[in-house]
Amino acid sequence: MAIRVNPGFINDLNRFGKENIELCYQCGDCSAVCPHSDEFYKFPRKPIRLLQMGLEKKVETTLEPWLCYYCGDCSDLCPRDANPGDTMMILRRYLTSVYDWTGLSRKFYTSHWWEIGAVFVIGILIALLFSAFNPHGIVTTLTPDGGVKINEMFPVETVNIGAHIMLISIASFLIANIIRMWYLTLLKDRSVRIPFTLYFRKLYQLFVHFLTQKQFIKCKDRSYWIFHLLLMSAYVLMFVLIVGNLRWFQTDRIYSWYQPQRLLGYYSTLGLLAGLAFFSWGRIRKIGQKFKFSHLSDWIFIILLFLTTTSGILLHFFRLSGMPVASYYTYIIHMAVLVPMLCVEVPFSKWSHLAYRPFAIYFAEIKKSALPARKKNDA
Amino acid sequence: MIADKKASPRIGVYVCWCGTNIQKIVDVEDVAKFASGLPNVVLAKSYKYMCSNPGQEMIIQDIREHKLDRIVVAACSPNMHERTFRNALRSAGLNQYLFEMANIREQCSWVHTDHMEATEKAKALVSAALARVELHEPLENMSVDMCPNSLVIGGGISGMTAALELADSGFIVYLVEKDDHLGGNLARVDLTAPYLYSARDLITEKIIRIKDNRKVIVYLGSKVTELTGFIGNFKATIQSYDNRYNYPGRKVNVKVGNVVVATGYKEFDASRIVHYGYGKLPNVITSFELEKMIRNGSVETRDGRAPKYVAIVHCVGSRSKEFHSYCSRVCCMTALKYASEIKSAHPDCYISDIYVDMHAFGKGHEEFYRKSSEAKTLFLMYEKGDRPVIHKAGPKDDCEMLIEVNEKLSGEHIEIPADLVVLMVGMEAREDSGEIARLVNISQDKDGWFIESHPKLEPVATTTDGIFIAGTCVAPKDIPDSVAQARAAAARILARIAQGKIEVDAVYSEVNEEICSGCRFCNQLCPYSAIEFNEEKKCSHIISALCKSCGVCVAACPSSAIKGRHFTDQQILAQVEGLFTL
Repeated sequence: MAIRVNPGFINDLNRFGKENIELCYQCGDCSAVCPHSDEFYKFPRKPIRLLQMGLEKKVETTLEPWLCYYCGDCSDLCPRDANPGDTMMILRRYLTSVYDWTGLSRKFYTSHWWEIGAVFVIGILIALLFSAFNPHGIVTTLTPDGGVKINEMFPVETVNIGAHIMLISIASFLIANIIRMWYLTLLKDRSVRIPFTLYFRKLYQLFVHFLTQKQFIKCKDRSYWIFHLLLMSAYVLMFVLIVGNLRWFQTDRIYSWYQPQRLLGYYSTLGLLAGLAFFSWGRIRKIGQKFKFSHLSDWIFIILLFLTTTSGILLHFFRLSGMPVASYYTYIIHMAVLVPMLCVEVPFSKWSHLAYRPFAIYFAEIKKSALPARKKNDA
Repeated sequence: MIADKKASPRIGVYVCWCGTNIQKIVDVEDVAKFASGLPNVVLAKSYKYMCSNPGQEMIIQDIREHKLDRIVVAACSPNMHERTFRNALRSAGLNQYLFEMANIREQCSWVHTDHMEATEKAKALVSAALARVELHEPLENMSVDMCPNSLVIGGGISGMTAALELADSGFIVYLVEKDDHLGGNLARVDLTAPYLYSARDLITEKIIRIKDNRKVIVYLGSKVTELTGFIGNFKATIQSYDNRYNYPGRKVNVKVGNVVVATGYKEFDASRIVHYGYGKLPNVITSFELEKMIRNGSVETRDGRAPKYVAIVHCVGSRSKEFHSYCSRVCCMTALKYASEIKSAHPDCYISDIYVDMHAFGKGHEEFYRKSSEAKTLFLMYEKGDRPVIHKAGPKDDCEMLIEVNEKLSGEHIEIPADLVVLMVGMEAREDSGEIARLVNISQDKDGWFIESHPKLEPVATTTDGIFIAGTCVAPKDIPDSVAQARAAAARILARIAQGKIEVDAVYSEVNEEICSGCRFCNQLCPYSAIEFNEEKKCSHIISALCKSCGVCVAACPSSAIKGRHFTDQQILAQVEGLFTL
């Protein structure tokens, strides 16, 4: 059955980032130079071909864009300046919107107003919520060790309930999207028959790649791997501490600096700052192919994380210094940034790659292992 | 014969090493020693490069010192250096035809591995050359007058360019065009790739200049029906058959020195490929039909709608086993030109370019290809042997036709929507090219294109002196190449006109009129039409300037009345005998 070509597809794709995909004449230099491309997953050439021809249904099933770590060697080598590296990035955005069943992801990626608007609306709602529902208002008395009574202003039990509601909703959206990704890339692909046990046998890949991100090592410039790992670990740690374990993290008592609560917090803060400095400097100066093209979602990611980190640092400082008024407002600001960042970015936008990448590698490994089995059966 | 008159000829033999080309297989010293022992050989030498200046100088010195009157050089093929050594003989004051070459390179050292056998063969070849050269006669080259007028057949861009180039130098040109207007195939084109110059501008400028130039005499609606004579002295009969311009049946005889054949091409008949449905599907058109639409100002489907999808199919009739194996060279860029023209007429139209390979070889072509990609033309590749299939779309589709292709770059079996399909028909030799080849006595290759005398070094000359070929009658080519060839042909002719006279090789066949019985066998056999029949004397006569000395007439003559000069029976028999005297 012949698949219908859709020459208008490129125009749609360009809404996720403008790149001259039509310039590619399929020489394959990009795939040849790519350290991640192999005989089974040929990219960027092949996915670009599918884009050019507008074979949407085929594009939906590709895992290749997630296997790309955007070192940019392909774009450097491209004889037609078609920027295959950035095209993979655009494709990741597109796929994110395909996996998302709510359609919000597509809105956020293709409309500046939607993305910025969502962040603002959620931020303002959260600020109003925290201002309206605090039992004691600004508590000016201090704890015996001179800290601000943050738990009296914003009772941890109440906030924790909110945090868990948020956690569960973010997780359910993300999990639903991952299931959809699995459906599109593995289940729908009739060319491979996947034995059920393979999902268990390859499961370790998911964790290995999530925790180490070792695919970055294949790229020439390893600095990116180090900073990315630092940022990711700091971010995940902070997420676990704040959203998952608020009662342990938000205390009135001031622990000694060497206590795990503060040490872990400091590690995360430093990791976030170092990562942010690296990424924002790279993007501002457009260093290398990787940072040459920045989409709004890339900047929102950096800006929100930067605001969250700095407001967190300030809050920590004000609380320890016994400055209740400053702490009160900083807390609200911190939440008004943190919540929209997590709600918009994690399930629907840039941050979802945290989950999609390791899952893609996991699925790709399964697919690859399933193929020889299929061939054996055919024979 | 001279050899009989003189008691003993004095022969010098030179064995060339050709660097190591000959020397590493053939024992050159041994060959020279062997030669020096043969009768009438005054001296025999071997030298590293006989063709070099010192080598030639050695021959000249020896001729003078030792009073040599025959020379044999055992070296490469005479194709390579016969002229060189003949000139050396001339410099030494000896007739250039008292010379013979033994080919011990191409016919010996290059094709053998055994030293002993190769050396023996070289000796045999030298011995044969010696036997032959003894019978050589001194011959004189002929000089014939060069008529400064020229005939140009074909009024396309090549013919017009050649005609103007010749006429601008002040010589008369007869320009014969079969159609009722000048311009040829280029007159059917709108814009030209890759710079999008208007074809009309290119042609109009030439036509105006031709009309203003009194030296160009144009015959429209006319054909050259007869061409006799030889270089410098051709007689052409031009017959008009279009009564709008000339009286029908009117014949003109003109005298010309040289002829430029620039008869162009015709396009491939697209209905020969059934997959494409040309002639059956109304919106499958050829590139020339699209040109006509563009020139008329609107690109639309048969029922007058603006097309939403246009597909352009490359290599229609070209680069395939069933039709033509060659590439037609202009279609790729023309297809890109169409993409650009259609896009500017209908900016929202989707254009698919279905190709095999993109041949963007010329100046500005690669950039043009890139530009077309930037304009969002969708390029789809098909395998040469696996042609796309065009069929009518269903009632639910938003297009007229669907083109099924096994797309090579993605490996997917796809269908492409199309409202209008443009078939890039290739070039092929005109159906009357065989007639023209016979008329001017030149050869055609298997595809019907005229053959040049050397594909690289003589691209516009033919095997018949005075007949030049230019443009797309030689092979498919674009406008710059056609114009370059036309100017090259004109330059070759002008060089000859400037010389005033032309030297013709003394090697030709001649008829002994006293023996000739007038049977005319030879007249029909001569592949160069060099033999005419003298009705008064009732005997055949060979036009020496046309004769290539192939020897067909010599062999065929039942009365043995024809002698091939420099290839007499005695000379050849002596050579054969010489081979076996070892």
